[in-house]
Amino acid sequence: MSAVLTTARQELVSLRRERLPLVLLVVFVVMVSLSSLIGWLTNTTVSNVWQKTVQAGLTKAANPFADVSALYYARNTVIYLVLIGALMAIVVGVTSAMRDRKARTVDLILSRPIGVSTYLLGKLMGIGAWLAMILGAVAIISWTSIAIITKAPLSVSDTGRLAGFYIIALVLLLVFVTLGMLSGIYSSRETTALLVPISIWSIVAFVLPQIGTSANPVSLLNPVPSVKVPGGAFDTMNTILSPLSVTEQFKTASGLILNDSEVTGNLATALLVIFLALVIGTVVLLDTRRDLIRGALRD
Amino acid sequence: MTSTVVIARKELLDLRRNRFLIAILCFILVAVVISVVVSAAQFRVKFDDYTTYLNALRASGSTATPPAPQLFPLQLMRGSMEYLEILGALFAIVMGYGMIAKEKQRATLQLIYSRPIGRYSLAGGKLLALAFAWLAAVVVIFAAVTATLAIVGHAPFAGIDYQRLVVAAFTAWAYLLLWSAVALGLAAVCKRLSTALIIALVLWLTVVLILPQIGDTMDPDNQVPGGLFKSLQIAKPDEKAVLANFAGFDTIRNALEVSSITKHYERFTFAILGIKDQYNQQSLATVWSGTWNNVISLWLASIASVVFAVLSTTRTKLLRRTS
Repeated sequence: MSAVLTTARQELVSLRRERLPLVLLVVFVVMVSLSSLIGWLTNTTVSNVWQKTVQAGLTKAANPFADVSALYYARNTVIYLVLIGALMAIVVGVTSAMRDRKARTVDLILSRPIGVSTYLLGKLMGIGAWLAMILGAVAIISWTSIAIITKAPLSVSDTGRLAGFYIIALVLLLVFVTLGMLSGIYSSRETTALLVPISIWSIVAFVLPQIGTSANPVSLLNPVPSVKVPGGAFDTMNTILSPLSVTEQFKTASGLILNDSEVTGNLATALLVIFLALVIGTVVLLDTRRDLIRGALRD
Repeated sequence: MTSTVVIARKELLDLRRNRFLIAILCFILVAVVISVVVSAAQFRVKFDDYTTYLNALRASGSTATPPAPQLFPLQLMRGSMEYLEILGALFAIVMGYGMIAKEKQRATLQLIYSRPIGRYSLAGGKLLALAFAWLAAVVVIFAAVTATLAIVGHAPFAGIDYQRLVVAAFTAWAYLLLWSAVALGLAAVCKRLSTALIIALVLWLTVVLILPQIGDTMDPDNQVPGGLFKSLQIAKPDEKAVLANFAGFDTIRNALEVSSITKHYERFTFAILGIKDQYNQQSLATVWSGTWNNVISLWLASIASVVFAVLSTTRTKLLRRTS
C-alpha cells in the first residue's frame, strides 16, 4: 500500500510542475467560474425580453425562467467539463504515462519491488486526488457564485445535488485519464499519444451521439443531451450507441442531478454507464504489460 | 528547381509516407460522410412522417394538403462543415506542428541550413506543401460528400450547387491552412516544442469551442427548447423590435462570436451552402453582400497566419538552443 501512496504523492508533485495541464487547468477554472455569470446574464436578459413583450402586449405566456432552480446557473459547467475538463484529463493521463518513459526513470522505478499495477494505480490515485482537489475548489466557486446571484445560500438539498454532480464529474474525468494513460503507454510518439485519445473523445462526444440522434456536432456543445429521433433506424442506432457515448450519459446524469427541467432520461442507467467506463478503463490500465511501460519513445 | 520547391516536394513525400496523418485524414473523411448519411436518413424520417400525416388527413376526409418537406441537398452538409470546423482545425494544427517538430526532434535543421537555401525557403516550402496537402484533402472530402449526397441522399444537384460547393471547399481550405500555418509558426517561434503544442491546443480550444459556445449560450433565443420567441408566439418583425431594446447585450454577444475566426468560417459556409435559411436558394451575389465581412476576415486571418509562419520560421529562431 505504501508503494501506491508513494507513487501517488510523486504524481501530485509532478503534476504541480507540468505546464500543459496547468494551462488547461487555468482555462477550465476560469470558464467554470464564468459559467454562472454567463448563465445569470442570459437569464436576466431573457426575463427582460419577456417583460418587454408582455408590456407591448405581444404575449400572454408565462416567463420561461420564472421558477428556475438555483442550480440552473451551474448547467453550463456541464459542457465545460465535457470540453475542457475531458481534454485536460486526457493531457494529464498522457503526460503522466509518458513522463517516466521520456526521462527513462521507469526502468529504475520498476527495478524496485513494485508491480506494474501498483505503479499505475499509484499514478491514477495521484491524478484522482489532484482532480478531486480541483473539482472541490470549482464546486466551492460554483456554490459561492450561485449564492451571490440568487442572494441566498443554497439549501442543503441543492448543496448535496451540487456535490453529487461534481462527484460524477470526477468519475467522468477519471475515465478520460485512464484513456490518456493507456494512449501514453501504447504510443511511441508524444504527438500520437495525445491525438489518439483526443480523436476517441471526438468520436464519443460528437460522432456517436450524431449517429444515434442526428444532432449536428455544434449542437452537441450544449449542456442538454441530444434528443433521439423516435422510431426507425435512429432509434435502433441510439439504443446500441448511447451506452458508448459517455459524455451524453454524463449530460443526462448531470441534468437530472441538477434538476434541469429540460433533461429527461434514466439516472441509474447514465450513472451505470459512467462508472462501468471507469471500471473497464482501470482494469485495462492495471493489466498493462511491463515491457509496454518500458518501451522507448521515438521522439 | 528552387530550394522552396525542393523542400515542398520532400514534405509532400513525407506526408504521403506518414501513416498516422493518413489515418487522421481518413477519420475526418469518415466523420463527414457519416454526417451526410445521418442527415439524409433524418430527412427520410421527416418525409415518412409527412406521408403518414397526409394519409391520416386523407383518411379523416380532409382535402387540405400541407406543404411537403423540401430537400435542399447542400443543407445536408451542415454536420460535415462543423466537423471540418472542429476536428479539421485540430488535425491541421497537428500537421503544421509536425512539420517543424520532426526537424527539431531529428536534429535535421543543422543539415538543411548547411545548404545554400534562401532566407524564407524552409518556411515557404513547408507552407507550399501544406497548401497542396490541404487542397488535395479538401478535394477528396468534398468529392466524397458530393458523391454521398447523390447516392445516399438521392439529391438532385443544380448547376449553381456545384459553384457553391467549390466556393465552400476553397473557404474550408483557407481555414485549414490558417490553423496549420499558426501551428507551424508557433513550433518555430517557441524554444520548446511542448510550449508550442500547449499554445496551439489552448488556442484551438478557445477559438473553436469556447468562444462560439459562449456566443450560442448568450443567445436569448437558444434558452428555450424550440426557441424563445416561438415559445412566446412572437412574429419575426416583433422579435426584431423587441431585441432592438437589447442592442448592447447583443453587441457583446456578437463581438464574442466574431472574435472567433471559426465563426466567420461557419457563417460564410452556412450561407453559401444555404444551410442558413435566410440564404437558401439565394444568388451568390446576395450571399456575398450579406457575408463579405466574414469572407474578408477569414482570408485576412489566413494570410496573416501564413505571414506569421514565414517570418517566424527563420534560421535564427530554429537553431536556437533549447533550455
